[in-house]
Amino acid sequence: MSDIKLVDVTKQYEGQPQPAVDAVSLDIAAGELVVFVGPSGCGKTTTMKMINRLIEPTSGQILLGGADVMSIEPNELRRHIGYVIQQIGLFPHMTISENIQLVPGLLGWNRDRSRRRADELLDLVGLDPAAYRDRYPRQLSGGQQQRVGVARALAADPPVMLMDEPFGATDPITRERLQKEFLRLQAELRKTIVFVTHDFDEAVKLGDRIAVLKERSRVAQYDTPARILAAPADDYVASFAGSATAIKRLALIPAVRLPGEPLDERDGLPVLERGGSARDALDLMVRRGTSRVAVGDRTVDFAMICALLEDEHGR
Amino acid sequence: MDFSRYLERRWDDLLEQAVQHAAVVALSVLLATAIGVLVGVLTWRSARASGAAISVSAALLTIPSLALLALLIPLLGLGWAPTVVALVVYSLLPIIRNTVAGLRGVDPAILESARGMGLTGRQTMWRIQLPLAWPIILTGVRVSTQMLFAIATIAAYVAGPGLGNEILSGLAGLGSANALNKAVAGTAGVVLLALAFDLAFVGLRRVTTPRGLRV
Ligand SMILES: Nc1ncnc2c1ncn2[C@@H]1O[C@H](COP(=O)(O)OP(=O)(O)OP(=O)(O)O)[C@@H](O)[C@H]1O
Ligand SMILES: [Mg+2]
Repeated sequence: MSDIKLVDVTKQYEGQPQPAVDAVSLDIAAGELVVFVGPSGCGKTTTMKMINRLIEPTSGQILLGGADVMSIEPNELRRHIGYVIQQIGLFPHMTISENIQLVPGLLGWNRDRSRRRADELLDLVGLDPAAYRDRYPRQLSGGQQQRVGVARALAADPPVMLMDEPFGATDPITRERLQKEFLRLQAELRKTIVFVTHDFDEAVKLGDRIAVLKERSRVAQYDTPARILAAPADDYVASFAGSATAIKRLALIPAVRLPGEPLDERDGLPVLERGGSARDALDLMVRRGTSRVAVGDRTVDFAMICALLEDEHGR
Repeated sequence: MDFSRYLERRWDDLLEQAVQHAAVVALSVLLATAIGVLVGVLTWRSARASGAAISVSAALLTIPSLALLALLIPLLGLGWAPTVVALVVYSLLPIIRNTVAGLRGVDPAILESARGMGLTGRQTMWRIQLPLAWPIILTGVRVSTQMLFAIATIAAYVAGPGLGNEILSGLAGLGSANALNKAVAGTAGVVLLALAFDLAFVGLRRVTTPRGLRV
């Protein structure tokens, strides 16, 4: 079991007037991807680093699978928690494969097994092992390095991953691709993940749940992306969620889940691409100037989309 | 006697002195590297400790070499021992300073990810920090080595090894038949040795710098 439980966790840095993290409590279920989102300096990184003891809490308790992290030897703890930072921090004097093999090596895996694992992970993050395993970090682009950073964190198959703005340093297009691949990965791996970002849209895209943090890491709202968009707890959360929240919610709903009527081929309606969201359906309507589109073997109309948002509001 | 005939007659002695000169410098630099890197490793994190180590090694460098040797004789007698100790003392500064600079220069993000992955402090030092700082440390070692070739000539005063003996006996017999030949042969030998070592350092740097840092 690898759920994470923060109980009244406080961090007071020496010489600071206020705690950076102030009595924060959060439960993160095993296999869940939770995103910490909040403005710069609100304490996201500090909160996250207390989980792998890179920072020691001043008071409060952090439980990992029920065990107090303070009772676990820090290096032992960290070898079982994947850690990805924004600056990536690959070791420039080691090959890509050696970078990935480092933690398995520390855990006493034999070389063959570590090597095979490195290849497997390169494959998993979309880099051809034959082409990349013997390269050095400086021979990779920023986005490729970021993938290696994720692969390295996954190396020893840790049940828990901490990711601090792992896609922060990439351009919007690469970022979106990395996010998509990451979601696909997570669907397969089902790790318990704490993911830090200050990009609310990224949080909506990736999170099973989002913890919206305000100053001193206080939890303003902790809920699913759909519910935070539908019912922000207060003005702070609402301002963070930004405008067009209804549209953002639609992006979370696969169009195939929309209620629809059987399609009559003779209507000649515009057809939505497979895998499109309710938002894509709406987009298609607006572009074609119709109020109905074809989704698979059914038709979906504008009123249904509105009704759905109304429905989800209560939930 | 002209210089070439002098060389021919004294070739074996000169060669032996040159070998000893190189040996005493090499031994001293090796010891100084071990000590200097250790001091750098122990102090780099604290600006105060590393500052103190650098100041002390710089102060040592200002002691006149004859005075230092004179001080060492009562403790260590004559010959190799006081020579090596004096040379180690003189070569510490560049090595300590470059070790500190090299370790400080390692990207904090790299240290953070090493710590976050569960490397112990010692593992991080051996596997990450020292390899990354090595090219800079080696530059310090190289500077020290060059310095020592000149300083090592002074060893002749304490009956130490090396080409200093040739130079010293030339200076002592100034005006005599071979005085100039001796001084020139000794000096040229020192310069040639220094050049040869410097070339060797270029190769050593190539061989010992991790490949990932050269790409
Ligand atoms: N080592 C430290 N000593 C003192 N104060 C610190 C230290 N590290 C962080 N802080 C302070 O604690 C607060 C929270 O910092 P933290 O790095 O957790 O913020 P963050 O939410 O991750 O911000 P960002 O989005 O910019 O990364 C900030 O006000 C910061 O100045
Ligand atoms: Mg941060």
